[in-house]
Amino acid sequence: MKYAFFPGCVLEGAAKENYVATTTIAKELGIELVEIDGWTCCGGSHLQDVDELGATAVNARNIALAEKMGMPLLTVCSTCTLMLRKAKANLDNGQLEQINKILSTGGIRYNGTSDITHLLWVLIRDYGLDRLKERVKRPLTGLNVAAYYGCHILRPPGIMNLEDHANPKSLEKIIYALGATSVDFGAKLKCCGFHATYTASEDMIRITGETAKSAVASGANCIVTPCPLCQMSLDMNQPEGQAVVGCNQEMPVLHLSQLVGLALGFSPDQLGMNMHIAGRELTKEIIANM
Amino acid sequence: MRQITYKIERSDGAKSFVAAYSFPYQPGKTVLWGLITIKETIDPTLAFTASCRSAICGACAVRVNGQALLACETPLDAMLERFGDTLTIGPIQNFKVIRDIVVDWEAKTKHLTESKTWLIPKDEFNALQGCHQSAADFKQINTQASCILCGSCASECAKLTASDQDFLEPFTYSKVWKLVADTRDKSAPERLKAILDKGLWKCMHCVECVTKCPKGLAPGEDIARLRRLSIKLGYTNSIGAGHAIAFRKDIEDTGRLNEIKLTLRSIGLLGSIAKFPLALRLLRRGKLNPFHFPGKVKGHAQIQAILKAVRESDQK
Repeated sequence: MKYAFFPGCVLEGAAKENYVATTTIAKELGIELVEIDGWTCCGGSHLQDVDELGATAVNARNIALAEKMGMPLLTVCSTCTLMLRKAKANLDNGQLEQINKILSTGGIRYNGTSDITHLLWVLIRDYGLDRLKERVKRPLTGLNVAAYYGCHILRPPGIMNLEDHANPKSLEKIIYALGATSVDFGAKLKCCGFHATYTASEDMIRITGETAKSAVASGANCIVTPCPLCQMSLDMNQPEGQAVVGCNQEMPVLHLSQLVGLALGFSPDQLGMNMHIAGRELTKEIIANM
Repeated sequence: MRQITYKIERSDGAKSFVAAYSFPYQPGKTVLWGLITIKETIDPTLAFTASCRSAICGACAVRVNGQALLACETPLDAMLERFGDTLTIGPIQNFKVIRDIVVDWEAKTKHLTESKTWLIPKDEFNALQGCHQSAADFKQINTQASCILCGSCASECAKLTASDQDFLEPFTYSKVWKLVADTRDKSAPERLKAILDKGLWKCMHCVECVTKCPKGLAPGEDIARLRRLSIKLGYTNSIGAGHAIAFRKDIEDTGRLNEIKLTLRSIGLLGSIAKFPLALRLLRRGKLNPFHFPGKVKGHAQIQAILKAVRESDQK
C-alpha cells in the first residue's frame, strides 16, 4: 500500500504532532507514505472566496504531482481532502480543458489518474478493519471515545462520498476495532467553527465549549476526530470555551492517528500528545493504567 | 406485524415534550404519510404543516434524527434503512416553534424583506414591454430560482445555531446572489454593499446548507460568489476578505501558509495582540514556532506561472 502523502499546511504548523502520529502509525501498519515534493496549500476552504479558478488550478497541480508519482493521494485533513476532491470533481466534470491550459503554463498536466483519499477512508476501505484489529497490541479496553466527524469529511455528500453523511459509522467502527468503546455523542456531526475563527470568534469559542461539555456529558474520556483543524480548534480554544459554557472538566481531543497509535502500542508522547492543550495528563493516566 | 415508531418532539409553544406513536409499517410510503397516519388515526392534536405533497410548496420540512428534509418527498423506507424502525421527528432548527412541528417564519421573512429579495428592474424595462431575459442569462440563475423556502438550509446552519443576531438564513444569501446575478436587476452594487453588513463573512463553511437543500441549491457557494464579487468591487477592508486574500498571497509567495503572517494579515497587529494568551499557550506546547518561515516550495515558479494564467483567464 503506497500513497502520495499530502500533509497540508497545518501538519507543518500548529498540528505538527499529527504529522508525527500519522507517519508513525503508517510505518507500523506497513502503509507507505511518500510525501509529495512541492505540494502547496489547498486553499483551506478560503481561497475560493477570493479566487475560485485559482483554487481549482492549484489543487489540480497538487493532484498532478501525485499522478506523476503514480499513486493515489492521501491526506489526513478533512478540509484538504474536500478542497482536492472538489477540484477533481470540477476537472472531471467540464473544466479539464480550461485548467489544463492554465497548468500548461507551468509545464504540468492533470490526467485524472489519482484518487484523493483520507487516512480514515484508507483504514476502512483499503487497509480493512480485520487487519487493523490484528495489529492492535494494546486494546483500548475501557476507553470511552466520543467520535467527532466534523464537516468536511462528510459534506457535501456528492464529493465526500465514503459513507452516509447523515449516519456515518466509520469512526465508530475504528474505535471498536481498537478495543475502545464509542459513546453516544450529541455533537458528533457538528461544525467546530474553525473556519470562522476570526470572523465569528465568539461563536467558535462557544461551540468549542459546548462540544467539550457534550463529550463530558456522554461519559467520554476523550474525543477523536479525523480532522486536524477540528482537533486544533476543540483543543486549543478549550480554556475559553469551557469558561463560556461553565464546564470545568478538561476533554482531551485526539487525532485519529493518535488513537490508532495508542492501540498499536505507542506512548502518548511518541504520538505527540504532549503537545496538546486540554487533558494531556488525563489520557496519559488512562493509557498508563491499561 | 412490523410497527414503525415516530418519537415526535412536540411543544405547545412554551413546554416541550416527546410523544411516541406507533403504527403499522406499509412499504413505499413517505415520512409525511406517517405524520398524516398519526394525525388521522392516533392523535388529531398533532400539528404540522404540509400542502402540495410534491416538493414544491416547501411547507413540510422537518428534522428526522437531526437531519432536515422534506417529509413529502422522503421515502420512509430510506429513513428506516438509515436509522431503524424508530425515528425521532422534530421541527426544523433555528426557527421559533409555534406548536409541535409548526415553525414561525416571521423573523425569516423580515430578513428577506430587509434584503429586498425582489427584482428591481433596470430603467430600460417598462410595464408595457416587461423585463426580457435571454434563456442563457436565466440559466445562470436557474438553480437559485428553484428555492422553495422550506428552511432546510437554515435548520442545520452552524452559524445560525451559534448565533442568529449577525447572520442571515442561507436561503437569503442565495436569493440575494440570484438578484445580483440577474441581468434584469439594476441594484447589484447596493445589494452587495448591504449584504456585507449582514454577516457575509461569518459563514462557518459547515456545508450543511449545500447538503440539506432538497432542490439542489448550494447557498454556501452563493455566499462564496457574493464574497468574490465584493472583493472584486474593492470591499477588501474586512477580516474575512483579508483572511481569504492572505491565503492567496501565501500560496503565491511561497506555496504554503505561514500561520503567524496569516494571523497578522487577517486580523492585524491589534487583533493579533488580543490573541496573545492563545499564542502563548501554543508556544508553550511547541505548536507555534515564531521562527518557522516556510521557504519556497519546489516548483514555486510553476505555481506563480499557474496563478498568473488564472488571472489572465479571469480577465478574459
